Amino acid sequence: MKRNPALLAALALSAAALATPAAAQTTLNVVTAGDQNMVDYVKDFLAPRFEKTNPKATVKAVGTGPGDAGSQKIAEKLQAQKGNAAWDVDVAVIHQKMAGDLVREGLLAPYVKDVATGKLVTSESSKNALGTNVAGYVIPMFQSQTAIAWNPALVKAPPKDYNELAAWAKANPRKFGYNGIKGGMSGVAFVVGWVYANTPDSERLMKGPYDASTKAKWDGALGKLKEFNRNVVITPGNAGTLDMLNRGEISMGPVWVDMFYTWMADGKLPPTMRLQLIGPGMPGQPMYYVIPAKAANMAAAKKFVEMATSPDVQAEGIVKKFNWYPGIDAQHVKAKLDDKTWNKLFVDVTPKDLAAKGKVFPIKPYFDDILESYERKVLN
Amino acid sequence: MQDRGRLGIALVAPALAAVLVLFVYPLGYSLATAFEAKGGGFTFGNFVKAFEFYSVDIGFTLVIIGLSTLLIALAAIAIGGYLVLGENPRAVALLRWLYRWPLFIPFVVAAQCMRSFLAKNGLMNNSFVALGILEIDQTTGFLDWRGIVITFVWKQTPFVALLVAGAMAALDRSTIEAARNLGAARLRVLVEILVPQVMPTLVVGLILSFVTMMSVLSVPLMISGESPTMMTVDMAFRINNYGDYGTANALGFISYLLTAGCAWVYLRRQVRQS
Amino acid sequence: MTWIGRALVLGLLAFVVFGPLANLALWAAAEQWYFPHKLPVSYGTKFWAQVFKPRGDALASLMTSIWIALSTVAACLALAIPAGYALARLKLPWRTAILLAFLVPQAFPSVAVYINVARIFYDLKLNGTMLGVILVHTVHGLVFAVWITAAAFAAVDRDLEAAARNLGASGLRSFLTVSLPLAAPGIMASAIFVFLESLDEFTGTFFVGVPDVITLPLLMFTASIAGNYQIAAITALVLLVPSVLFMLFIERFLKADVLSKIGA
Repeated sequence: MKRNPALLAALALSAAALATPAAAQTTLNVVTAGDQNMVDYVKDFLAPRFEKTNPKATVKAVGTGPGDAGSQKIAEKLQAQKGNAAWDVDVAVIHQKMAGDLVREGLLAPYVKDVATGKLVTSESSKNALGTNVAGYVIPMFQSQTAIAWNPALVKAPPKDYNELAAWAKANPRKFGYNGIKGGMSGVAFVVGWVYANTPDSERLMKGPYDASTKAKWDGALGKLKEFNRNVVITPGNAGTLDMLNRGEISMGPVWVDMFYTWMADGKLPPTMRLQLIGPGMPGQPMYYVIPAKAANMAAAKKFVEMATSPDVQAEGIVKKFNWYPGIDAQHVKAKLDDKTWNKLFVDVTPKDLAAKGKVFPIKPYFDDILESYERKVLN
Repeated sequence: MQDRGRLGIALVAPALAAVLVLFVYPLGYSLATAFEAKGGGFTFGNFVKAFEFYSVDIGFTLVIIGLSTLLIALAAIAIGGYLVLGENPRAVALLRWLYRWPLFIPFVVAAQCMRSFLAKNGLMNNSFVALGILEIDQTTGFLDWRGIVITFVWKQTPFVALLVAGAMAALDRSTIEAARNLGAARLRVLVEILVPQVMPTLVVGLILSFVTMMSVLSVPLMISGESPTMMTVDMAFRINNYGDYGTANALGFISYLLTAGCAWVYLRRQVRQS
Repeated sequence: MTWIGRALVLGLLAFVVFGPLANLALWAAAEQWYFPHKLPVSYGTKFWAQVFKPRGDALASLMTSIWIALSTVAACLALAIPAGYALARLKLPWRTAILLAFLVPQAFPSVAVYINVARIFYDLKLNGTMLGVILVHTVHGLVFAVWITAAAFAAVDRDLEAAARNLGASGLRSFLTVSLPLAAPGIMASAIFVFLESLDEFTGTFFVGVPDVITLPLLMFTASIAGNYQIAAITALVLLVPSVLFMLFIERFLKADVLSKIGA
């Protein structure tokens, strides 16, 4: 057989290629609940940073959608794999309600002691998720707050509390919009704030102890909410409210402060829009970084969370780029930013407002009761 | 011959099995789970809960679909009628080309179109304002149950119209000619001669549309923010937020009853008339 | 009706039919559009670049959608061609019942069924997998595939098949060389129909596929809910192209004699 030099060369090359040990490429699966901005944060900000310092890793970001539905999907994924040796979710970002459930079911790893940034978080919300002790299992990614966005071109003076808001809505029908409880958490926050404003013992709702008979006392508040709903527009989601505000279809609506500022930065909201945190208060929540108990890439997952909760990343990413309040203690992050950037978070909603009117969501059993009662009494 | 019968069954079996396993079995599962309590055991509790939470939406589902079906029927008869009785060949050709377009638009895309078209400051209202028909602050958004009706009618009319027009075209023209020669107005010919003869086709088209509309999730999700909306949105909400299969399946059971009920009413009218 | 009346009615109909579609086209070309402007403030292709960027979601979803649709067509045809042939040519006991059985997926509102399919798949670890979604799409498309294929085979001239048999061809050979090629246009049409149904399918994928399998309709839905109307409009246009192409070509493949045999 005649020797074919081209064929020999090809064989040699392929042999060489096969002989080279392939670089072990790990894929880190990060699954996040919440709106698109959460997925964008992981994909466009965290992933490139992590891949630069860890060249053998690729980050895959998956979003499961806003609100409790998104966190529920993550919980279902973990529950479905319970029997497996290694799970396909390495890092998850979830809401408080689901975090409590997952810790109770033993599906999360107590990773906080293993990461250096664990010491930088001492806030109440890092230990308590709506009444469940989650210390050691979670690090807050950010703190967020809801407030009422209002358009100065269409509204002369914003209401100062829920009662004034109700009166304003009656006088200006269909100029206030919120997304109910099915479209996302800003509407849920609004409803919770309404219940806090119209029932006597809101402190108990936030701290417990739970009493099943309490929900019977909410009929008055819910009746007023049903009446209120007749004068407002129900928008299709967190983004729906912002969108309708942008197009002047509504003049006021509850929004997440971070989404508000991000939309403004993207040119999707007029720069003249303002925020008002109405009394007696509106809730906010952290979202948590958690690592599933049997994550396939546990070591890489811990490194990822450590990077994401480092003061640099919190300053640059969480505060500067995405307008959230930091998840780790504020003093570590403030030190990394100039005053102007830090203060932009507090233009309309001052630290004093936050201290007085920034509430937490109720403990889980009360939270469920509020949502159920809304469906029963207000929607039906 | 027996051999061929067995061969026939063997050839059909895989496809039939697919339908049985992947549709009929889950359907049965759904019906059974509607009556299953959280810890097991038979209960009507899921239905009680479904009504406590969603009675308004159940009612509105009927209203939305009933109204849509009625409008679709009227539009389809009008289109079919004009295609058969129309006297201007250019108009007829134009209509024939025009009415089919929504048929090939998927429901999700139709929902997206309508979401911005029907908004308070959407294209529809802006066009009306531009034409001087409305003032800018008189515009209302249709992004609620009425938008769902509009989207359904927009999407389903071509389908039913296609069936009806086909059936009308296949009819014997002699009765039509006779009536016209006697001086009957075209509308009268349509109502008294054409429609009764194409009733079976119309009914089939409407029932298929009814089922389709009850099966669509994308349209109500994208167009209507919250209550009142269709039951399908509530089913999805129960599953996605709470994993509450009991109530979701109870709602599913109710939707089967509604569909079967309406189909029965339609078909009974058919049997009665023939 | 005077010509003015006709023109008005047809014009109104054109507005009704094309208005929403024009709206879609406008949003796809718009870069900025907010109140109180009646038309986009600025036009541009910024969002097209965003949608089609290499690491972007849209291309990945498009590939996922096309892959699922092709697999669905393959599965449907594999099931429907034998079934269609049997229904058209062979003596089948309970023939009418079997034909009606394939209608069942169209006879019941399917949201609840999909919810339970997802739950069953969850136990079988099929939830969130491509295979799961393909199975759901296949069942959804089977009714069209079987009915249209049966009609296509029925429309084949029996004399041609008889001639092949007379020349000594076996049943299988006659099927492969005579029936199948002659029924091909109708089968092609059913394949395209199934492809389109799968490409546009939303509800089943919403329950069975999310969050791992994201098809183009789901991506469009997410973009729309998030208020990204430009991205939603562009993805919608991408979804529309195959459908409209099909509409323009359907005349060629689906001949009258095939259509008349549907349901016979």
